[in-house]
Amino acid sequence: MNEQLRAISELDRVIHEPGRLMIIALLAVVKECDFLYLLHETEMNKGNLSSHLTRLEGAGYVEIEKTYRGKLPQTLLRLTRAGRAAFDEYRKGVKAAF
Amino acid sequence: MKDELQNYMGRPNRYNNIDGTGEIGMGLMALCYGLLGYLQAVLPKNSVRSHGAASMVLFFAGVLVMLGLILWVPKIIKKHVTWPRTGYVAYRRWGKTWWTAMIAAAVIAAVLAAGVGCLRRFDESHDWMSLMRVVAVAIYVVGYGYWIYRMEREHPWKWLLLLLMVLGLLAAALTAPADFVGLWALMLFFVGLAWLGSGGATLYLYVRHTKPATLEAE
Repeated sequence: MNEQLRAISELDRVIHEPGRLMIIALLAVVKECDFLYLLHETEMNKGNLSSHLTRLEGAGYVEIEKTYRGKLPQTLLRLTRAGRAAFDEYRKGVKAAF
Repeated sequence: MKDELQNYMGRPNRYNNIDGTGEIGMGLMALCYGLLGYLQAVLPKNSVRSHGAASMVLFFAGVLVMLGLILWVPKIIKKHVTWPRTGYVAYRRWGKTWWTAMIAAAVIAAVLAAGVGCLRRFDESHDWMSLMRVVAVAIYVVGYGYWIYRMEREHPWKWLLLLLMVLGLLAAALTAPADFVGLWALMLFFVGLAWLGSGGATLYLYVRHTKPATLEAE
């Protein structure tokens, strides 16, 4: 297997899924954001977004905090240190592959 | 793919001005500067502006009010209009990009200060305060152009507003019957209103095209 194919095969599958890649790319740039912002930016439906966030949380890449803004419930999301490192590795992998 | 990803990662920064609050803040700042300059020009010579400590207190009070407006008004709009509609974002500070911007701003300020120093040295008869005032207006105009280029890809009509801003300033410079300080205050008012108008129009369009989120389980 040549180097480029090896780089593509070694890409993190958790991040490589398009929906999750969008989520990670947005979280990588901010300190934190809420569920509504990701819903607006990714244009996914709530179920789809929830499912991707659960997968990312399970992988340890995203931290989910349920809190309140005044009396309204708010779900805050942050990229973890592991998530940031994984995203940096993913970007290096893509650069090597292409 | 790499360029598309980089472009997509620029979306959170552009979101910061989806509601026009950046321009509203800059417009308020210009209006406050213009007002301070105007007060300096119209207050009688024997009024508080000539009394050393009192004039400094007045000046700093004005600056504090200005800073309060610039920080408080956008925050209020974000808290009550933007975040309930399209979501809340907190931005990272102290990252590499932030430091790069701060260092670049410091370098530019140092170069400008050195340039002004050179001009003073070459021709002592030039009024350097007038030059600083011209530079201040120029920064607002050039800054608006840069703002549109970096942040406002979704609102191409703002390029027309920039053109109107430049033409308006030229018209004022050529026709307005006022001394330099009065003219400068007028120009700063005009530029501030342009920024404020731009931000207000952006806010109006944002509110018109978005709806408050419905309260459901996330």
